[in-house]
Amino acid sequence: MSKPLFIKLLLLVIVFAVVPFALEGLGKGYYYQIATLAFVFMLLAASLHLVTGVAGLLHLGHASLYGVGAYVAALLGSKYGIGFTYGLPLAGIGAAFVAFLVALPTMRLMSIYFAVATLGIGQMLFLVFQNWVDVTNGPNGVMLFDGIDLFGYAINSELGIYYVVAVVAAVSILILNRLSHSYYGNALRSLREDDQCTAAMGINVTVMKIQAFVISAFFAGIAGALWAYTTGYISPNDFNFSQSILILTMVVVGGLGSLPGVLIGALLLILLPEVLRYFGDIRNIIVGLLMFGAILFLPKGLFGEVNALNFARRILGSAWSEDNSEKGIGWK
Amino acid sequence: MFDPYILQQLAIGVSLGMIYALMAIGFTLIFGVLNVVNFAHGEVYTIGAFAGLMAITAFAPPLLVVLFIALAAGAFAGFGLERLAFRPFRRFSDEASLKSRAMREATLMSSLAMSIIAREAMELIFGSQFQSIDLAYLINKPIEIGPITIVNGDLIILAITLIMLGGLQWLLKKSPIGMSIRAVSNNALGAKYCGINTDRTIIFTFIIGSGMGALAGILVGLYYGAIFPAMGFTPGIKAFVAMVMGGLSSIPGAVVSAMILGLAESISTSFMPSVWSDMVAYAFLLATLIFFPQGLFGARRERV
Amino acid sequence: MKLSRRTLLALTVASVMLPAASQAADSIKIGYQLPLTGNTAQYGQDFKDAAEIALAKFNASGQIPVPVEIIYEDSRSDAKEGVTIARKFVDDKEIVGVLGDFTSTVSMAAAQVYKRSGMVQLSQTASHPDFAKISEWQFRNITTQNQEGGVNAKWMIDQGIKKVAVIAEQTDWGQSVVKGFVDPFKEMGGEVVYTEFFNRGLADFRSIITKIEEQKPEAIYTGFFYEDGAQFLKQVAQLNAGIPVYSTSAAYNDKLIELAGAAAEGLKLTATFLPTRADANVTEFVTEWKKTHDNAPGQFPAQAYDAVNIMLAAVVKAYPDVTRQSLRDAVAATKDFPGVTGNTSFDENGEPLKELTKATVKDGVFVEVK
Repeated sequence: MSKPLFIKLLLLVIVFAVVPFALEGLGKGYYYQIATLAFVFMLLAASLHLVTGVAGLLHLGHASLYGVGAYVAALLGSKYGIGFTYGLPLAGIGAAFVAFLVALPTMRLMSIYFAVATLGIGQMLFLVFQNWVDVTNGPNGVMLFDGIDLFGYAINSELGIYYVVAVVAAVSILILNRLSHSYYGNALRSLREDDQCTAAMGINVTVMKIQAFVISAFFAGIAGALWAYTTGYISPNDFNFSQSILILTMVVVGGLGSLPGVLIGALLLILLPEVLRYFGDIRNIIVGLLMFGAILFLPKGLFGEVNALNFARRILGSAWSEDNSEKGIGWK
Repeated sequence: MFDPYILQQLAIGVSLGMIYALMAIGFTLIFGVLNVVNFAHGEVYTIGAFAGLMAITAFAPPLLVVLFIALAAGAFAGFGLERLAFRPFRRFSDEASLKSRAMREATLMSSLAMSIIAREAMELIFGSQFQSIDLAYLINKPIEIGPITIVNGDLIILAITLIMLGGLQWLLKKSPIGMSIRAVSNNALGAKYCGINTDRTIIFTFIIGSGMGALAGILVGLYYGAIFPAMGFTPGIKAFVAMVMGGLSSIPGAVVSAMILGLAESISTSFMPSVWSDMVAYAFLLATLIFFPQGLFGARRERV
Repeated sequence: MKLSRRTLLALTVASVMLPAASQAADSIKIGYQLPLTGNTAQYGQDFKDAAEIALAKFNASGQIPVPVEIIYEDSRSDAKEGVTIARKFVDDKEIVGVLGDFTSTVSMAAAQVYKRSGMVQLSQTASHPDFAKISEWQFRNITTQNQEGGVNAKWMIDQGIKKVAVIAEQTDWGQSVVKGFVDPFKEMGGEVVYTEFFNRGLADFRSIITKIEEQKPEAIYTGFFYEDGAQFLKQVAQLNAGIPVYSTSAAYNDKLIELAGAAAEGLKLTATFLPTRADANVTEFVTEWKKTHDNAPGQFPAQAYDAVNIMLAAVVKAYPDVTRQSLRDAVAATKDFPGVTGNTSFDENGEPLKELTKATVKDGVFVEVK
């Protein structure tokens, strides 16, 4: 067996056999909840990674697009009885559509202006969730009673829900990984490094940005739908500015531009507060200190692009190639 | 047209605008003029308010002394913030690191981390509720002018805003240190080569900007009688919007934009439910970015 | 009575003589999810303090031979955390019932877990109209606004007030405040001239107040917590609006007077708890509370205190066979529980029925209006 295949299989075995087996063995809903939460946030971080890590656009309103997905899923479910099968893709499409609308006028902005614009968009969407009472139910939130219903089969067991979430998240992350390590991803990287140069190379920078933003929103919407279906109740406060910052922190702590790093960052920031639960009141200070320490001593993130390449080369061996053949960098 | 209702709303708008302007001045100095992304300014503002509050509860000094204590606390906080969250990231001074986005975003994230730590620590020490303030210190004594009512705080804030604005304009345009601030913001490496002590300039800017932020904190805290650990967030966003509208690096521009913002918010309450009034600020922000990418007053800038 | 006391004494002596380890193993555990950090930590801390007073008193009283233990978990008023904690509580087989959370958002997200797993959840404050309807497992110890609004409406009509402006915070609770008041008020022949919501934590109410003045109402009915309330009252006084303000029990807190000073004078509100009421339970609670606090307890800590006591009384009722099911049934059967917030019974939906007291601020203190 070749090494890259082995690594891939190992990851698959861990996600789809070892973890569920362990969870089932522990028999605790608490761990299932954390696993689900970790998947949702890994997907969120991976989708933000496309915009912030790969394309280098600081995005401060990601949680609002996650919210759009959650609201689409929850409202379709509670008002029109559209279940998981169609609700999940529709949530992604809904978030992508909203992202497209707001992207049209704002995407030609650069650097900090882009960040400010996304902050504004995020806050506006939050105000819409909160105050457009007729549609979003306002602060009352939306309750979604039917669990996950896949092509007519109701999935109620915790293990089943875990598998659904894990499959959706894994497939989405795989797509995002392929995207960011394709020619397309390289074009986005060039945008990050020097957008004027990219434009001079004949790449339409604005279109690229809109595409990356919309794709990222699509997956954020999927993550939102997963959250809505697994929790059963959503309200505007789940999608406020601090959530955007949380997702951004995952990407930065994990390492800008490195998908494995980002996923580890997400895991870390979901698991850490849980582990620190015993510290009580000071656990958020500890999270802040760790974040500060990570930035101070690892300014490129735990696994920044460069570090991540080394890391991947070392750990994954030949699974990672950086040659100049048509495939470019990425996992074979 | 000029019935008392409209006049009163205008008066409220002006006073709101001045409060935003007060916050925006220090913010613009660090963020816009020095061109350092600082997310912890809101916490400096809060620290100023708490320092003033502690002085009041400890030995009840006159108001002017309270303001100076807050100013000093803010200057100290700014110094510490620069040392902890910004200095370490200037250790690489080669050109590649200076241009690197990762390095710029490192300070963004480190200041964010600092702000989380500071806010959580304040919540731990003081609790997250509104603090009790000696009511005699509040600067909200009504003053009736014809059909409208303002408060003495409005006058105090107006005076301080004008002093800060004038002082900073003089500092930036006329004094040597102001010149070096502008030089560092324009090209840090170039300024260094010209013999400017960049570290000292940056620290100085942080001290001035944070002192002003802290002064704004105690003034607004006493104006509304509301001092609590999360108080810096909303004014921070408003100051941010005012700064962008004003053209990022222009302090007078930020002050005028803050006034526009305050007026727009108070008048908008007449036409739509108040829950949407925050929308006005964000709509202004986006409209500015889209239609006036150089800010409302056309400051020179290459690309947005 | 005498006999049972002697039995209790014997049991207490026995439990002291028995090794401490076995006693700890036998303790009955109750979970309490509440915000201990974050923006709403001030409320959560109060709940915890109130709960500890109730628990210490209960364990000292020795009504059942084993001690009860409350496990506190910090939810930060964040739904994510709330659900995680709920799962954690459900997993712990020793936990038989849960108290909390503070906000409706978190309580309702967590409620989905308790509903699925079958654990009684008694919230001291969740006021969302649908909360208690989620399932048979949800209960709350907060009067619904349908009840409070009606009392306030009647009060105003009795005072000859017909034109009212209504403002409330833009939360599920605020929505229920407006609805609970406007419907009965209109039925009684009143007129609502202006309705407005505001975002929690709004610093500046002056635009809204000016707009209210423009409508010339005879009174303002408000749905806010004490912090927003203090801001609102101060600015009403500052603009010299001179319109009487009515409010709900949520504003009932000594901190309101402390923060608003003279501006709070004349505020009228309904409450179920008055620290000055001559009642043995109330006096005991207030005395204990004041040992660690400067102020008398407000409405919310009182509700938490009662919620804990209701839960503990249910434990006693279910003892010795305390399971999640038996505890739920015992809570549901609560009838005329004599708490500090008045007598409490639950209706078939898990809604409490309480008597409301009218109060006003006079010379810097809340006094009962007869």
